[in-house]
Amino acid sequence: MITAHIMPLTILLPLVGVYLILLVGSKYRALARKVALLVTGATFVMVCYITYLVSSHGKLFYYLGGWAPPLGIELQADPITAFLLLTFAGVGFSVILFAYDILPGEINPKVITRYYALYLVLLASLLGIVLSNDFFNIYVFLEISSIAAAALVAINGDKLAMEASIKYLIMSTLGSGTVLMGIAGLYMVTGYLNLDFIAGALPVAYGHYPLTVLMTLAMLTVGIAVKAALFPLHVWLPDAHGSAPTSSSAILSGLVVKVYIAVLLKLLYRVFPLDFITTLPLQGSLLVMATLGIFIGSILAIRQKDIKKMLAYSTVAQIGYVFLGIGLFSEKAMVGAIMHVFNHAVMKSMLFLSAGLLIKYSGRRNIADLAGLGRVYPLPMIAFSVGALSMVGIPPLSGFISKWYLGLGALEANQLVFLFVLLLSSLLNGFYYLPIVIAGFFQTETVEIQKKEIPIGAQVSLVILIAATFFFGLFSNVSVDFLTPTVQGFFDVLGGGG
Amino acid sequence: MDNLFYAMAFIIFLTGFWIMLSHANLIKKIIGMNIMESAIFLFLVAIGYVKNGRAPIIIEGNPGITYVNPLPSALILTGIVVSVSVTAFALGLVVRLYQHYGTVDVDEITRMRSEES
Repeated sequence: MITAHIMPLTILLPLVGVYLILLVGSKYRALARKVALLVTGATFVMVCYITYLVSSHGKLFYYLGGWAPPLGIELQADPITAFLLLTFAGVGFSVILFAYDILPGEINPKVITRYYALYLVLLASLLGIVLSNDFFNIYVFLEISSIAAAALVAINGDKLAMEASIKYLIMSTLGSGTVLMGIAGLYMVTGYLNLDFIAGALPVAYGHYPLTVLMTLAMLTVGIAVKAALFPLHVWLPDAHGSAPTSSSAILSGLVVKVYIAVLLKLLYRVFPLDFITTLPLQGSLLVMATLGIFIGSILAIRQKDIKKMLAYSTVAQIGYVFLGIGLFSEKAMVGAIMHVFNHAVMKSMLFLSAGLLIKYSGRRNIADLAGLGRVYPLPMIAFSVGALSMVGIPPLSGFISKWYLGLGALEANQLVFLFVLLLSSLLNGFYYLPIVIAGFFQTETVEIQKKEIPIGAQVSLVILIAATFFFGLFSNVSVDFLTPTVQGFFDVLGGGG
Repeated sequence: MDNLFYAMAFIIFLTGFWIMLSHANLIKKIIGMNIMESAIFLFLVAIGYVKNGRAPIIIEGNPGITYVNPLPSALILTGIVVSVSVTAFALGLVVRLYQHYGTVDVDEITRMRSEES
């Protein structure tokens, strides 16, 4: 029974966890974190099972309530979906593990129960967006994720976070409003909400209403770009990710901006025919925005004094890489983009978590004040360094692999310029990441710090993330082999063998 | 004339969009958000409307009646719920911001914050 219903159960499990936490946590506050840890762990196990099923049986389909599409809502899992699910559930679990002992010191003890509940709502909505094959269903999950994410920023009630949160909420409502308008347009011209049926009806619909289809594509792309913080629509991101509590920043920067990219992937590769998209100026504008985002994000990151703000601007730059990979419309670049979604999720959550630890134990947020902390707190500083080196793209870390594939994709698409973009931006990444690492280990500390013990959960979580960074760098063929057939399928079916 | 509803929906959508972007007052931004969402709902209802169509309650033995498409209306119900919850949360945040800063003006808040630091 579990095998047949595994996909809806995976979305339901965190939601059931929410009720459990709110029920149990109102009386026994200490139990909330245990339930959260258990539920995220179980979700991860179920996602692993989905991945196993996908890799052994091929694509999975599930019709909610037994209603076959186009009447009912359909869930679908292919290798790309499974890969993204693994990313979300895995990083989601590591962050909860990290927060196990850290969170009580960081946010108001009164709201911890609610924090875990919101976190699980967010996780459920992320899994739902990735799994769902129905456009309106995706919209509902998008809105759930934006409310939960904005609430996770504002949870502490301090004024900076509240301000960032309302900015985030307004921008992401703008984005989802635009997306909904686009969905309405697609429904108008095709009469379907299921992605595969829309894809089937779209060529005819385009013949009848070319302008409406173009407008729809534009609205969907812009709406998703706002929510995914593609430059120049990124203005809300640094405040929201910089002022949130540590574990919120980690999941927001690592996962939440990525899920919109999953929607864009579905849209561009499964709904709109590839030969249709390549006739539009869409590719050019995606590439220009991505390139500008990579450079301006990095340059702004260099100028930051606050370490969390710096990491947030770095996310703007890294999102640029993912959009670059999508915009190149070549097989290798797309593999690179999907792998970068995973690698960046692991690296950025590791960076945010270790920076959060350093801030917590030293009481300082300024980059200049972090000198010498590597001797007092080796593990967080090592995690930070591994993340930083991976960001710059040093082999054999995972960041190198995704950049390598993006570079190969640029060659495959005959766009040599972007190879230089990649090289130059790696240099820029080095500019702001490496000084922190060097100062952290080789300079003496500016102020005497009392050494405190780091909780075991946080240590284990950081070690898992470091191991993942090394594993997917050294054994990248595992993920490449898993993803390549599906990606090839997109280009063969839609691009006519191109 | 058939496209009047679509055109109006787009004009209202853009009005709401513009209010959200141009006004510094947070309450006005939230009102703009609601106007924008209402426009989307109008658009969806207009898609589902069939000329001279009736509410889709099928009565046996009475053929030859046209019904409106019920799906967009059902979607809008969900959309309204989503929109209400976003509005409620946003207003809650504005109340808390007002307690901290004594204003709901974004520019004013930014100015006060830069003076503090």
